[in-house]
Amino acid sequence: MTALLSLAFKQLVRHRLRTLLTVLGVGSGMFLFTSVETLQQSLASVTEETAADTTLVVYRENRFCPMTSQLPEHYADEIRGIDNVREVIPIKIVVNNCGASLDVITFRGVPSGLLTKFAPEIEIVEGGSAEWEKRTDAALLGEQFAKHRGLKSGDKFDAVGITVYVAGIIRSPFPQDNNVAYVHLDFLQQASKSGLGIVTQFNVRVEKSSDLKQVAEAIDSRFKSDQQPTNTRPEKAFFAETAGQLIELIGFTRWLGLGAVIAVVALVANSILLMVRSRVKENAVLRTLGYPGKAIMFLVLSEGGMLGLAGGIVGAGLAWGFLRWQSFTMGSEGHTLAVLPEISTALLAIAGALILGIVASVHPAFVAIRQPIVKSLRS
Amino acid sequence: MISCKAITKSYTKGANTVTPLENLSLKVPRGEFLALMGPSGSGKTTLLNLISGIDTPTSGSLEIDGEDIARFSRKQLTSWRARKVGYIFQLYHLIPVLTAFENVELPLLITSLSRAERRKKAEEALDLVGLSGRSDHTPGELSGGQEQRVAIARALVADPALLVADEPTGDLDRESATHILGLLRSLSREHGKTIVMVTHDARAAAAADRALHLEKGKLLTTDPNLTVA
Repeated sequence: MTALLSLAFKQLVRHRLRTLLTVLGVGSGMFLFTSVETLQQSLASVTEETAADTTLVVYRENRFCPMTSQLPEHYADEIRGIDNVREVIPIKIVVNNCGASLDVITFRGVPSGLLTKFAPEIEIVEGGSAEWEKRTDAALLGEQFAKHRGLKSGDKFDAVGITVYVAGIIRSPFPQDNNVAYVHLDFLQQASKSGLGIVTQFNVRVEKSSDLKQVAEAIDSRFKSDQQPTNTRPEKAFFAETAGQLIELIGFTRWLGLGAVIAVVALVANSILLMVRSRVKENAVLRTLGYPGKAIMFLVLSEGGMLGLAGGIVGAGLAWGFLRWQSFTMGSEGHTLAVLPEISTALLAIAGALILGIVASVHPAFVAIRQPIVKSLRS
Repeated sequence: MISCKAITKSYTKGANTVTPLENLSLKVPRGEFLALMGPSGSGKTTLLNLISGIDTPTSGSLEIDGEDIARFSRKQLTSWRARKVGYIFQLYHLIPVLTAFENVELPLLITSLSRAERRKKAEEALDLVGLSGRSDHTPGELSGGQEQRVAIARALVADPALLVADEPTGDLDRESATHILGLLRSLSREHGKTIVMVTHDARAAAAADRALHLEKGKLLTTDPNLTVA
């Protein structure tokens, strides 16, 4: 078997141009497939609820954009008093673009000192908390946010008419925290001219996942008759409902992924079929030498599999490197989605390309063994 | 070694039935070098294909070393060819992207031999045909005579008892043809191989132990000592 694999490998390596073109074609398809899968997987990570979720988002009822959701900051104290609420943080959000966009800048204003209390999982990887506490215009940038814009601690940057000083870079296990700039709440309220005492939303941590529903109902019930009624949902459900444009856009990319898979199958099948047809005599010679049909099939399937594997490695590898390097962040309605590829996605694409290469070679393999030897030798 | 009894080969071509071989009987003793001659369409290549097991007769029996290969299944024939027959083609049919060594090694890739054993046998076969110095050359870098010698080494490498050659000198100049015929003769005389060679060339046939003529699918003999069963 190893000897036959080696023979198939030699055939590929020594038909350089054909192999190169096919690998490039498969690679392009798998680049697209890996990118689409990364989008789907990134979306799933922020919309699919798990048993570990304990965060609720309190938004103004019937509002979907941070520019129109305005809630009184003092709601925080009342929410804090509801049973099973562990912590509440009022957040002011300012974005440069409410629609679906690839270049979204999101400022989250939070009360000084509350950020680390509300989200102890946040780790400062560059700079320090002293600068953050000392300066009113200080900002803690999510790792992805800083990487995408080439910012480091000590820099100043301006966006949406707000100028901030980068006090540090933070890292969080929650992807959405890595795509935003945290600033002081009062600073953001003043800088965005929305006025002190007005926030966009409250993020509420409950004791355990099973408390989410009951606490959400209690919050909405508490402010039902208030001037600013609320709509409270688990954070991931909130994202799924409000970032509809983004989700529709990403949903459409599934078809692109399917198209890429079909293109790969067609390309490998075509390439292998052409190879089989151009090597009718070679295959007949091998059969004359005593190669059984299954050995010929193995050779054809191996070549298809190797083409798929090489194309998969090229395509998935390039997509993985490109998406890591570019650190794309998609945004909609103030929510951000980091398009970050996982190794598992790249491995899935490579394994998929290998299987597609083999599957695409099945028909050509049958063609290779069905021709009568004598007729093939005369062709 | 080879005993054909009343073999007939026919096939349909459109509405017609073509019978390239009809009721042919032939015996070839072990170690003999036999030349089959005849005009185009006389059935000599068809007979060669039947003897080598790449085609099957419509009727009759074809015993080789006591086994009636006419009754073999396709799978049995494939396995039998791998063990018992070496085929030499007129146009060599070497795989162009493989070196001489790799082409010779081909029949051994489907055996259970180790890599080292395969290497040893392929080198011996190339040495036997006088091409050990050209083992790393691809067919495109070899002359026609050298390519045919590589093809002979490939046919020999699995040590089959029977070699069949279809016009092995048909595409070669006189000097190369003489060299190839000498090689085939020595394989028959010194290594005990039974060789059946199809040729148009009387000079090539003269190198064989005996020559038989076929015409319209029937056997005519030019050898007074021929025994036709």
